[in-house]
Amino acid sequence: MTITRRNLLLGAASAIAYTQLSTLQTKADIKIASKAGDQQMVASMCRALYPHKRFAENIYMDVAAGAIKKGNADTGSKIMFRVGLDGLQAKKFDKLSFKKQTKYLKSIEGSPFFNLVRGHTTVALYDHKQVWKILGYEGDSFSKGGYKKGQYDDLDWLPNPRIEEHPDLAAFLNDSSPTKYASSKIIKTN
Amino acid sequence: MKIDKKEKAVVIIGTGPGGATVAYELTKRGIPVVSLEAGPRIMKEEYKNDEWPAFSQMAWLDKRTMSGNARIVKDFNGLPSWLVKAVGGTATHWAGATPRFLDYEWKTKSTYGNVKGASLLDWPIDGKTMKPYYVKAENAIGSTHRGGRPPLPANNNYKVFAEGAKRNGYKFYATGPYGTNAAPYDGRPASIQDGFNFQGDKSGAKWNPNVREIPRALKTGKLDLRPNSQAVQLTHDSKGKVDGVLYIDTKTKALHRQEAKVVCVAGNSIETPRLFLMSASSMFPNGLANSSDQVGRNYMRHLTGSVYATFDKPVNFYRGETMAGFFADEVKNNPKRGFVGGYYLETLALGPSFMGAFLEPGGWGKDFADMMDAYQNMAGMWIVGEDMPQPNNRITLGSSKDQFGLPAPNVHFDDHPNDTAMREHAYKVGEKIYKSVGAVQTWRTTPYPHTHNLGSMRMSSKKKDGVVNKWGRCHDIKNLFVSDGSVMTTGAACNPTLTIVALAIRQGEYLASQLKKGNI
Ligand SMILES: Cc1cc2nc3c(=O)[nH]c(=O)nc-3n(C[C@H](O)[C@H](O)[C@H](O)COP(=O)(O)OP(=O)(O)OC[C@H]3O[C@@H](n4cnc5c(N)ncnc54)[C@H](O)[C@@H]3O)c2cc1C
Repeated sequence: MTITRRNLLLGAASAIAYTQLSTLQTKADIKIASKAGDQQMVASMCRALYPHKRFAENIYMDVAAGAIKKGNADTGSKIMFRVGLDGLQAKKFDKLSFKKQTKYLKSIEGSPFFNLVRGHTTVALYDHKQVWKILGYEGDSFSKGGYKKGQYDDLDWLPNPRIEEHPDLAAFLNDSSPTKYASSKIIKTN
Repeated sequence: MKIDKKEKAVVIIGTGPGGATVAYELTKRGIPVVSLEAGPRIMKEEYKNDEWPAFSQMAWLDKRTMSGNARIVKDFNGLPSWLVKAVGGTATHWAGATPRFLDYEWKTKSTYGNVKGASLLDWPIDGKTMKPYYVKAENAIGSTHRGGRPPLPANNNYKVFAEGAKRNGYKFYATGPYGTNAAPYDGRPASIQDGFNFQGDKSGAKWNPNVREIPRALKTGKLDLRPNSQAVQLTHDSKGKVDGVLYIDTKTKALHRQEAKVVCVAGNSIETPRLFLMSASSMFPNGLANSSDQVGRNYMRHLTGSVYATFDKPVNFYRGETMAGFFADEVKNNPKRGFVGGYYLETLALGPSFMGAFLEPGGWGKDFADMMDAYQNMAGMWIVGEDMPQPNNRITLGSSKDQFGLPAPNVHFDDHPNDTAMREHAYKVGEKIYKSVGAVQTWRTTPYPHTHNLGSMRMSSKKKDGVVNKWGRCHDIKNLFVSDGSVMTTGAACNPTLTIVALAIRQGEYLASQLKKGNI
């Protein structure tokens, strides 16, 4: 990762978070983002990243739970995730307008916390079975015998196209005088 | 058939289209073969209609690294390619597009001339030589629109694609050629249009070696198929001829050795050169068959990209045969467009799960979500064109290790300016096609992990220019062959598998005749 001012700041913040965490080390197995409201906070970030009006809150909460689980994977992740969550809380991220949320997300884009939450959300959100339903995706179809005529071709707002090859295709492909195209050997690359 | 490990056998590494085809060509002529396959044998009943579980069921996920300026290096560093580790190879997940090389695409150096930074080279074989083998390969695969086989019907995604092409004055669109049956053929049923191709086809309508070449080779009684057997080194005698294969039982991690009189390597364009490099010895310090220093070089991945568009009415593009939509109008070489070579456009659909991950790697925000929100109204196409071979686009042994402690391959890939210019052109044509039928939003999607992996064991007439000769036989080692797409001197615009199968049928015939004459 290239060192930018932001990364340095995040690095500094991690160091602070680490000392806080190590003072707590006497208690066995610290979990981050376990307080009431933490999951909602992360969920609000998931929604701001991938805003869908049609998706109910429970979907984003499910996704946030998965992200938090990854954040608890090991000590390094815990420290990193805590710092990120602190950032959201300091900004009262869940109370911001969508525009301000986007602005904040841009400012942390590329940070390990952002990468974890975004990377997890883009996979988990669109793999969510409730989301499939809302988006109109039917999932498994083999068990239902596949799609029949009138289903795989039910689009009715365009005419039915030709499916055979054009009669001139073979001649076009076989035209064996490509050198006629080869006179110009300059490549423009814009 | 069980072949003794001490018997000097014909050993084929890999059971994808390349390796399985050679195995079938030999066994049907009565020649016993040991097939080593790194992955398990998974039957169609076990395939899954669900993108992520299907992917993790059989994708090659062993450690790999990447370098270079191509965007994929940043987006998917540990996953340069989408390859399958199972009997049947990557064709278990393939779509099925089966176009042929154009005649001049066998001679790109003579046709395109010198392109700066590109290592173009004419193949040592041509379209005339390959024509009969293309016919055999199309009949093996059962390509639609060929050999009297009917075309697949139009699905929703194709309707949008074809009408858009037509409105722009294009005419060379059709639903194939495509390697899935429109009508029952060769003992396999017609497509049930379930929309799952990239996950493995549960119906058996789609060709792949696990439904044809492998079962037929087993039926001859001459094939010793060993799944979960990953070759890790080729050994040679004091004369420099290959005499055995070391392989790992991936389940028990036990190391075995099979004595060999001939070895054909078909592990695809990353694993094949990796195996040659891992087989370095005091006699061949730079790896086997590498006196030219060409092993691993000129790796190609095709020029690719996708265009997706949303409309104000439903498309349901995930239904039906994924890639049964084909557009050839921009395939001919025409340097006036600002690049040499050409490209095809082909219909493409992903489920929401993969779309979320691949539409815009790293992408987020309202535009992205709007695209996804209109998933039901989405259409999609894939760009596949000729990319420029470059000597430094290359497979090497990297510094990281795989799960067996063996050096993981590094894939270096820089885009050539010709690739960039062609992709830009294709994006514009794709957008034009969709805008003419009312697109609300369009999206330019960057290349996925490479599904077409070519060229790292280049075929050449001169020894100094490549690794193998016109039969796929190593210039340096008489009893060592390469039988997969890595032999491609240049990649042409077309999807590669038909050509891989055609080359493998030809190699199998040749190898059988040489073995019968006692020339090996
Ligand atoms: C999603 C997707 C869609 C595709 N669609 C198309 C399409 O429409 N048209 C087209 O032409 N092509 C398509 N392809 C590409 C096509 O799958 C490949 O071109 C083809 O499978 C290559 O055949 P191969 O025999 O060279 O290699 P593979 O099929 O990759 O087979 C190589 C085999 O070797 C095994 N192996 C590797 N290393 C070792 C080792 N050391 N020891 C033992 N075994 C080993 C692997 O496990 C694998 O089974 C698609 C690919 C993907 C992923």
